[in-house]
Amino acid sequence: MDKFLEFKDVSYFYQTKKSEVQALKDVNFTIEEKEFASLVGPSGCGKTTLLSLTAGLITPSSGEILLQGQPIKKNDSRIGYMFQRDHLFEWRTIWQNITLGLELQKKKKEQKSLDFAEELLKKYDLYNFKNKKPRHLSGGMRQRVALIRTLVLEPALLLLDEPFSALDFQTRLKVCDDVYEIIKKEEKTALLVTHDISEALSMSDKVVILTARPASTKKTVNLSFAGTTPLAKREDENFGKHFEMIWRNLT
Amino acid sequence: MKNKKQKINYSLAHTKYLKRLKKDKFIVLFWQIFVFVAFVGLWELLAYTEAIDPFFYSSPSRIIRTIGELASSGELWINIWTSLYETILGFLLATALGFVIAVLLWWSEKLRKVLEPYIIVLNSLPKIALGPMIILWVGSGPKATVLMCVLICIIITVISLLNAFISCDQDKILLMKSMHANKFQILFKLIIPNALPDLFSVLKINVGMSWVGTIMGEYLSSKAGLGYLINYGTQMLKLDIVMTSIVLLCILAAGMYLCVSPLEKRYKKQIT
Repeated sequence: MDKFLEFKDVSYFYQTKKSEVQALKDVNFTIEEKEFASLVGPSGCGKTTLLSLTAGLITPSSGEILLQGQPIKKNDSRIGYMFQRDHLFEWRTIWQNITLGLELQKKKKEQKSLDFAEELLKKYDLYNFKNKKPRHLSGGMRQRVALIRTLVLEPALLLLDEPFSALDFQTRLKVCDDVYEIIKKEEKTALLVTHDISEALSMSDKVVILTARPASTKKTVNLSFAGTTPLAKREDENFGKHFEMIWRNLT
Repeated sequence: MKNKKQKINYSLAHTKYLKRLKKDKFIVLFWQIFVFVAFVGLWELLAYTEAIDPFFYSSPSRIIRTIGELASSGELWINIWTSLYETILGFLLATALGFVIAVLLWWSEKLRKVLEPYIIVLNSLPKIALGPMIILWVGSGPKATVLMCVLICIIITVISLLNAFISCDQDKILLMKSMHANKFQILFKLIIPNALPDLFSVLKINVGMSWVGTIMGEYLSSKAGLGYLINYGTQMLKLDIVMTSIVLLCILAAGMYLCVSPLEKRYKKQIT
């Protein structure tokens, strides 16, 4: 089996005025290429720390994180980050928003990248809104734009930090399907962090369960539900069973 | 058939709604004009019947006459022009300098922390207290007035803009960093555009503040300007001149405000 992303005995301490707090303790897990994995854990267990580590925003106190066999560097360009809220810039058009990364990396003149951005817009039904400002888009469309903005930079690994938590439930199920479809179509490897068990179950090939702080890996569950979309997977007869099992592991 | 009826009903209700909106707007405008006319009329009437002493309270007709006199002697234009350019210069200098300082303080957290107590003290200090010193430093006249104007506007500009810069969503900065933005790019592509609405409210506040600065500066020492005119009128007990200057001030300040507010409207239109 190919190890695409590998956490090897990763621990992390952070400093506060009063003491040193251990957020992670010997976290171990791997993700294969093109796999969709989710991290679930009790609230406040250090999920965000884990994401920041993977994104290269902070470095582990001990242990290593390998992506494609190479340790993750500071602001690693192989990583794409998707946030809880879409964070589209209101003063930019959709096109200017999705090419923001290219602009920052001085690639705005590379025709290949621009073509790719345009292709993504067309493929995911946003081309008609190319020159519109974000406020004209629905919550779901905005989240899709945010995902495309990340994909334009062609990251090897996508990090999703509860990307649906700001949406209402109806939109959430729909956007869940959309994002899943895009990620699968573009053949991306993704790591989702969420506190929503059913969201993790419906989207992932693998769920990594973390313990309470200091977080360590409690259990890794491989999933294979019938159905090709998160919404369809929710109807699988084993869905409930898995839900219960994970829930019990969290409490 | 039913559908058609519904559509008619809807559009009828809609025309009614539009009509009411229009009517409301008209009523507001009517009362705005009414208050103005009533105020001017009552003032004139009371002065005319000498229910109030026109020597102390002047009257609309006396103000118009005074404007005519000042205009024919040429004093009107000199004083208006002096105050106007001092104010605009002070306004522009204070806004530009304040902006640059706010950017520097955003850039360096250390600098910000070091300067914080000084900014608080300067903000609380009544700038007018520096007046006599200003005259000794730069001499009397327009220079002193502009400096006063800048001193009054700049601190609030720095504080408001810095707050706007700092209050930018941390996740947005993280997003920029995750796309390898350097600090310049974060500043110019995120922090500043994000703070534009606050910049506009600073501009609007500064219109008022810069007039305060100019009039204060002219009170302290000046040979021309509306503040000078007010001072002169008071000393000579020519209260018509004082009232006239105040009316002119109202018009100029409102005019300057009207120059600034379309900028904001244009910006708002642009982001929608």
